[in-house]
This record gives sequence, structure tokens and C-alpha cells, in this order.
Amino acid sequence: MTAALEVRDVCKTFVHRQTGRREQIFDGLDLSVEHGELVAVVGASGTGKTTLLHLIAGLESPDSGTIELGGPDRTPRLGMVFQQPRLFDWLPALQNVELATDAAGIGKPAARDALEAVGLAEYARSYPSVLSGGQRQRVGLARAFAIDPDVMLFDEPFSALDELTARRLRLLVQDLWLERPRVGLLVTHNPLEATFLADRIIVLSGSPARIVAEHRIDAPRPRQPEDDDLFALHRTIVGQLV
Amino acid sequence: MTISQSDVRQESGRPRLSGVPADPGGAGPSSGPLDRDSRLRWVLGAVVPPVLLVIILLLAWQLMAAKMSTPLVPRLGEIAGQFGDLLRTSGLWTQVGLTLERVGIGFVIGFLISVVVGIAMGRNTLLRRFLEPLMLLLLVIPGLVKALLCVIWFGVSLINPVLCVVLAVAPVLIMNIVQGVRSVDDQLVEMADVYRLSPRVRLFRLWLPVLAPYLFAAARLGISRAWQVIVLVEIFGLASGIGYQLNLEFSNNNVAGVLAWTITFALIMTIIEYGVFQTLERLSGRWRKGAGA
Repeated sequence: MTAALEVRDVCKTFVHRQTGRREQIFDGLDLSVEHGELVAVVGASGTGKTTLLHLIAGLESPDSGTIELGGPDRTPRLGMVFQQPRLFDWLPALQNVELATDAAGIGKPAARDALEAVGLAEYARSYPSVLSGGQRQRVGLARAFAIDPDVMLFDEPFSALDELTARRLRLLVQDLWLERPRVGLLVTHNPLEATFLADRIIVLSGSPARIVAEHRIDAPRPRQPEDDDLFALHRTIVGQLV
Repeated sequence: MTISQSDVRQESGRPRLSGVPADPGGAGPSSGPLDRDSRLRWVLGAVVPPVLLVIILLLAWQLMAAKMSTPLVPRLGEIAGQFGDLLRTSGLWTQVGLTLERVGIGFVIGFLISVVVGIAMGRNTLLRRFLEPLMLLLLVIPGLVKALLCVIWFGVSLINPVLCVVLAVAPVLIMNIVQGVRSVDDQLVEMADVYRLSPRVRLFRLWLPVLAPYLFAAARLGISRAWQVIVLVEIFGLASGIGYQLNLEFSNNNVAGVLAWTITFALIMTIIEYGVFQTLERLSGRWRKGAGA
């Protein structure tokens, strides 16, 4: 199977504007993600997890090295779910989703279908500020999945939510993920979340950050949050992190 | 995959009316005694105070005029008579139309330039540092100087008043827009980058909604500055418009005439404030109402 996302020998250094201090985040990072694979990136704060997502999303450029997103027969479409839903408060839920579908050149029905898929069909005309935190994040998920992305990036998507809500949304993401194979990268602080959702977990550590451990999770989907094997693996990863 | 509605409701952070989505602008007026009471309260709270102020000012003026008994402080009746004369002649509307046209063209051009330059300056630190001194210079140059220079350089052509208005409003608008742009949440801009929103969508869906409060504040200030300079330009360099008429009455020592034109001026400003600005502000802020419903 060919890699659909290839990060090769990537270096990235940030220079603090005020102090002028240089901080090398990556020095020759390599990572391959295959079609249909969801890779979770875990690690302590400051190990470059979000920077990695920003580099892949094109929000940052690497100082050197290459990042290739390979699509089967078109330029890969990219969806991203952020820690905060990042909605336009002045637009109703549906229009927030339509922003992405319009930009991707997809018809408006896709936006409505996506809202329906996340269980918010009747909130299409509601403004984000009347929605709960979980509902707002559902709109963020709908926006990302509405464009039928080839590459899906999750940047700590449920860390701002209470555990019960986060658990429902993880199940929702699992269902959406099962619809068709994509390339996925999930940055999370939560090893249990990583073991539940991912096919593979990589542990980033050090400065500059490098991959210090890698775990393949072969449990078939749909998975159950209470699965004993997943919980045991999660404990192993926690052991590596602390 | 669709999850059940009860699942969604459990997540809801606040109670909602069952099955009724929040409607942005659909909170139509309902009838009933409660509604009449609230309308009465609104009238008492919103309309009475400014009307009361106007009545007090008029009474104070009348008292002063009666006490001083001089043509330099005409009584309300004289001013009203003069205003009535102006209304009866078609000249009033012609002069008002000319001044409004000059202010309108200048303001629209200034507004468009300001939105483009303001957003660019807000997004680009180098450009902001480069242009900021020019903006500050234009802000501190008195309107009188701008008017005089425009009259000297451009004479009686339409360029003169229009350029003068642009110079008066643009710095105020630009500096406000720069502040507005810098207040925009970078995370939203990042989201727009990830989803590759077009420049047009960004302008109308991101920048303008975020900038709306700044634009209204700046537009109010800008329009008052525009009026100030247009009157000066008309006094110094043109043979028409409200400013020219004010100067004419001043030359004739007709204080009642000066005040009648001033009232015309004030009425136009009131119409612009309540008829245009507040309506636009209400429309642009509808989402806040919908959100609070």
C-alpha cells in the first residue's frame, strides 16, 4: 500500500519575536500515513504535535524537507477539526458548514446532509451561541466531513468538552470514519482517545521532537470505549508518557 | 449515521423550546397587553429622554432671547419663520441636495478606500508602520486647512469637495478598521486558510461582520468630519450648498437665517443617524438578537 501522506526529513525552527530565542521543533522528522489509516499523535505539551498538523495543513512551511499529500486522482481535499470549533458566530450553523462546501465547489445539499449526519438537522438555522459546546463541535465536524475530505486532521478536537460529550463525539467520529477510507491524523493529549480512534499511535518526545514509540492497534471497528484490550494498551502508552 | 434527538438535547447547555430552532430575525411582534406595556416602556425609555432634552434647550433659548432682546439672539418664532421661508422656496432642497451629493460621493469613495487600506494595514505590520504616520498627520491637520488647500488646488470643480471629504473621513475610518482587524481572532483566519475560503467570502463573511461595530463608530465620526469640511469648502470656494448659504446669511447679519440653515443641517444629521446608521447597525447585528433569543 502506498503512503498517502508522506512527511520526509522535515525541519522546523521557530524564532521568538521578542526574545529572538530559536526553538527547534523538528530536525528531520519522518512520518508516513497510508490510505485509510488514522494515526494518533500523542506527547507532552510543546513536542510539536500541533505544529505537525499546521505543517500538513499548509498553515506553516517547513524550513526544509517535504510534505506530500497524495490523492488517488485529484488534489487531496483537506478537512480539519480544531480544539475550539472556530465557527463564525454571526452565521447560522448551516451557513458555517456551507462556507466549506462552497469553497470546495460542492453543492449545498452536502452541507445539510453533513449537519444531519452529526444530528443537528433541526439546528441548521441556529446561531452558534445558542448551541452547547458539544453541538458547536458537531458543527465543526460537519464542516470538516461535509467536503468529503481525503485528509482529515484533528487538533485535540474533544479536549475542551466534558468527558460524556467527548465520548459521544468520539463514537460519532468513528461512524463517520467508517463511511470511506481517508488519511487521518489525530493530535490528542488523551491516550485513551488515541487508542479508541486510531489505527496507529506515535509518541512524540524531546526537543527537537522525534518519534520515540509507535503502537499499532489492530482492534476491528466499530470499537467499544470500554474494550479491555484498548484500555490495557492505553495504560502502556501512559507509562511511556509519564 | 444519525444520532437520536434525545442524545443531542442532553448535550444542550441550556433549555430550549422544543423543536423550535433559533430564528435570527424572525422574532416577530406578538400582540397582547404585555406587549403593549413593553412598547410603552420602550417609548418612555428611548424616545422621551432626547425629546425632553430638545424641549429644555428650546425653552432655554426662548428665555435667553426674551431676556436679551437683540436681533443677534432671535426668538424661536423668528427662526421658525425663516425656516418656513426656506421650506417654501425650492432653493432649500437644491442647496441641501448639492451638499449631500458632495458629502455622499466623498464618503462612499473614502469608505471604499478605507476598507481596503484598513484591512491591508491591519494584516500587514510593515504596511501599517509605513502608512501610520501619514494617517496620524491627516488626522491632526485641521479640517479648515484641508478645505483651504483643496480650494486652492482644485478650485470650484467637484474634485475639490469630494477630495476634501475623502481626506477628512479616510484617516478616521482607516485607523478604526486597523484596530478592528487586529481584534479579529487569528484562529478564524486560520480556519479560513484551511478551508481555502475565497477573498470575496472572507471579506463578506469574516472581515465585514467583525469590523461592523468599528465601521459604524468610524462612519459616525467620519460623517461629522465630512460635514464640517464640506461646509468650510462651500464657504471658501463654492457658490452653492449649505455652507455657502450659511456664509450668505452671515454676511447679511441674518442670525435667524444662519440658525435656520443650522437646523436644516442638524435635521439631516439626525435623519442620517437614526434613519441610516441605526437601521444598518440593527440589520448587521441581527445575529446577536437571534443568538439571544
